[in-house]
Parts: sequence; structure tokens; C-alpha cells
Amino acid sequence: MAYELNEDQQDCLQELINVAMGQASDQLARYLDTFVFLTVPNIELVNGHGLSSTLESNTDSTAVVSQGFFGYEGIRGEALLVYQHKDSDRIADLLGYEPGELSVEEQLIDISSILTTTFLNVFASQIENQMSYSAPKLLAHTQDTVSDYIKQVSFDWEMALKVNINYQVTDYSFNCEMILLIPAAAIENIKMVIDRILEDY
Amino acid sequence: MNSNIELTQVTEQLNSGILLLDLDLNVVSWNRFLAVHGDQKISAAKGKSVFDVFPELPKNWFERKMASVVQLGTPSFCSWEQRHHLFELPHTRPITTDSHFMAQNCTFLPFNTDGKLTGVCILIEDVTDVCHYQTMLKQTMFELEQANRMDGLTRIYNRKYWEESLAKEFVRAKRYGNQLSLIMFDLDNFKQINDNYGHQCGDMVLTETANRVSDMLREVDVFGRYGGEEFGILLTETSASGAKEVGERIRTILSNTPITFGQQTISFSASIGISSLNTMQTRYEDLISEADNALYSAKTSGRNQVCLAPSLRMCS
Repeated sequence: MAYELNEDQQDCLQELINVAMGQASDQLARYLDTFVFLTVPNIELVNGHGLSSTLESNTDSTAVVSQGFFGYEGIRGEALLVYQHKDSDRIADLLGYEPGELSVEEQLIDISSILTTTFLNVFASQIENQMSYSAPKLLAHTQDTVSDYIKQVSFDWEMALKVNINYQVTDYSFNCEMILLIPAAAIENIKMVIDRILEDY
Repeated sequence: MNSNIELTQVTEQLNSGILLLDLDLNVVSWNRFLAVHGDQKISAAKGKSVFDVFPELPKNWFERKMASVVQLGTPSFCSWEQRHHLFELPHTRPITTDSHFMAQNCTFLPFNTDGKLTGVCILIEDVTDVCHYQTMLKQTMFELEQANRMDGLTRIYNRKYWEESLAKEFVRAKRYGNQLSLIMFDLDNFKQINDNYGHQCGDMVLTETANRVSDMLREVDVFGRYGGEEFGILLTETSASGAKEVGERIRTILSNTPITFGQQTISFSASIGISSLNTMQTRYEDLISEADNALYSAKTSGRNQVCLAPSLRMCS
């Protein structure tokens, strides 16, 4: 099966994501009361092996949070939020909690959930859909456990659509990478949605 | 049939709590699960602040959590793994688990009426079971990990773990330019103790040695049984002269007090070799073989001695 998006589909998805990113960063900025910068997203197809070597090659990663999402018309996938050591110092501060009110693990999970759901909610409304989410899970939270975890998981799937977005909050020197992964079975569904949008256009 | 009334019947029987709050965090309604477990009547709670009805809630945290749901219109989550519970509720396994309150996974969902956000719906799942088994599993994993590191007889680290620690510390000390010293010591004439008094006596000497030395080491020192009657101690951020002092103290506490085995009083001692990290060594094994050389010198110069490695050149 050909999973590749054609040029129109790719452009359309890119545009949908760009718009969603703009709105999401606006909402986040208002909630967090500081500027949130999102980099231009990178969209590509990956296989399981490719993803695990990408994750493994990033040896600075100290935490990974996963959160599943699912909407109508078979749109589903998993969001991975990847943090580096220096990123996680001031998350409680950024989120507006008092120091000591919540553990580092909870801070990571909380900010991950906020970034993921804010972006995907806006994205869903762009495609006239609505998302539900699983509870976010901290897969690993030290450098050793991240690489151990990646080694243990076989990533035994053929193909996934991967969207990378980088979040930066310069005032709090916060930085993290969001990796959205749409599994093979859902790629067809998202292509159908994109085609419908292209037709209406 | 009215599908709304049917659904209400279902939610009333659900084994999860549903709590509906308005935007001012006052209670609007809840299902039977909360009424029963919370032992409160909805009629009394309705319209009251959630903090009056559930005074155990962490107020600041809870308000900030709600703010994210209301302002961003997104769901938020709270897992037992980070917070065992939010609401102090009893649970269904008070006898067969040691959990005092129900472990909970909570989900906070924006609640809309006619397309307009009017409140927050909180779903409370009882995960006491999951929490109980997960905690047991973690404990077992921890015990297995410990057992895997320990020497069965002396209860200090076994050779495998000790050597892994040495390998790690060697690399770290090299990288950061820290001091690192190694003590290797071997009980003198141990074969004779075994031959004269039996293996039980030999085992007792080994255990007593491990106990006495463990008691005088720092938390950060890594003490392991290297082989039969040979032991190794990794001293982080310690110079050769510091290690020599430790070596002397070990020599003294072992040889000064004999052990009593049955009716017998048995004196024993150890020969001690010391090496320290220098720029010439490239592998951690170099550190071991230098300490071993020093240990050999201690043996040949009459036993019950502390010797420094050839690169440090000294015996006492």
C-alpha cells in the first residue's frame, strides 16, 4: 500500500498544521502568560526502525511522555513529548504552580498534556473533528531509562506518519519536541479527510 | 424510551465517580458512586464549593488544574502514579490491600451546555487494585535487583556488580579529573582456618570481616567480595594517602579483635594493597592489577601489612 501523501495532500496537511500551530501558540501564550514559539513542523513517513534510531541517537533525551489521541473517522495516533535535561528546570514555575506543589514527574506529564491537547484540539476543529485523549504516561524520566525503554520496545510496525513540532518558551528556557505519530491504519483515513478538504476548496 | 433517562440509570450504576462542577468550582451534581463512597447526600452538597465538600483537595493545585481545563478547553489528567488519590474515599479492598484510601485516576473534562463551556466534569476511577499489584511488582523488582547485586554469604556486593561500579567510576573519575583509589585485601592463611576449624568457621570469618569493614566505610564507598577470601573497596574522591589511612584502619580492626567460634578464639588478619588513579592507566583493570601487585608485596613482606602500588611505592 502506498502511504505517501501526494504533493497536494502534503501541502494541505502542512497548511492545516500551520494554522493549528498559530492558534495553539496563541492560546498557550495566554494561559501561560508568556510567549510560546513553535518551529515549522516537519512531516515525513517513518518506519519503526527509523524512529527508534532517531530517538536513540538523541542521547540528551531525559524524559519521554506518551499520550494517545483518537477522533471520529478513524483519526488516531500517539503523541510523544521528548525532553532534554536542561528543559525541565522551571516547568512548575511556567505552569503557575508553587514550588513543591507537584513532583518533577507530574510537571512533565502536565505540561505534555497541555501542549498535546491544545494543539490537537485546534487541529481537530480544522478538520471538523473532535479528539479524545488517553491519560498521558511518563515512559521514562532519566537518560538511562529512556535509552533502555527504546531498546526494549521493538517498534514492530511498518509505517507511520510523523509530525515533529518544537516548542520553545524562551522566558523560562523551556524547550521540548512533540512527535505526533499516525499509525499506518490511520494514514488512509487522514488522507481521505485531506482529500475532502481539497475538494471543498 | 428516553435515552437520557436510560443513560442516567447506567451512570448511576457505574463503578466510577462522576462529579460535575460549575465554573466557580461549586458542586452541580454527582453520581451514586460518589454519594455512596463519599457518604454525603447530593442535596446537602449541591451549590457548595468543592473545597467545602472535599476539604482534602489541594486548593492551589486544584484551582490551577481547573484553570487549564477552562481556559484551554482541553482535558486534564491526574494519575495515581503521581498522586495516589485526590478524594479521600474508602475502597473495595480494605481487607486484602494495605491502601488506606482509594487509589484514583482522575480525568477533568470541559463540560459544555449548548456549545458553551459551563463547567468541568471530573471522572474518578478506582484503581486501588492496579496500584496494589504495581506496588508489589515494583517491590519485587527492587528485591530481585538487590539480590542480583549481593553476595549471598557476606551480604556485601558481589563481584559482578562491584566490578561494574568500578568500571563506571573509573570512567567518571577520568572524565572529571576526580581522585579515585582502590583497596584490595585478602585474608591471611585463610585456608588454614578452614582446614583447622572447618568451613563454618571460615564462613564466620568472612561474614565478620564484611561486617566490620562495612561499618567503618562511607555511604559512597563501594565494597564487594572479589573472590574466595579477597575483597575490594572503591573509594571515590579519595587520594592514595586517604586510602592508606582507611587501609590501616581495616588492618587494625581485623587483626586486633579475634572471633569466637564455639570454645575457640581465632585471630585473623588481612594483607592490603592500594592503588590510585593516575594518567597512565587506561582501563579500570589497570587499577585492579596495580592493587593486586601491592597486595602481593604485602603478603611477601610478612602479611598483616598495607602496601601501596608500585607507582606509589611504599609499604608499612
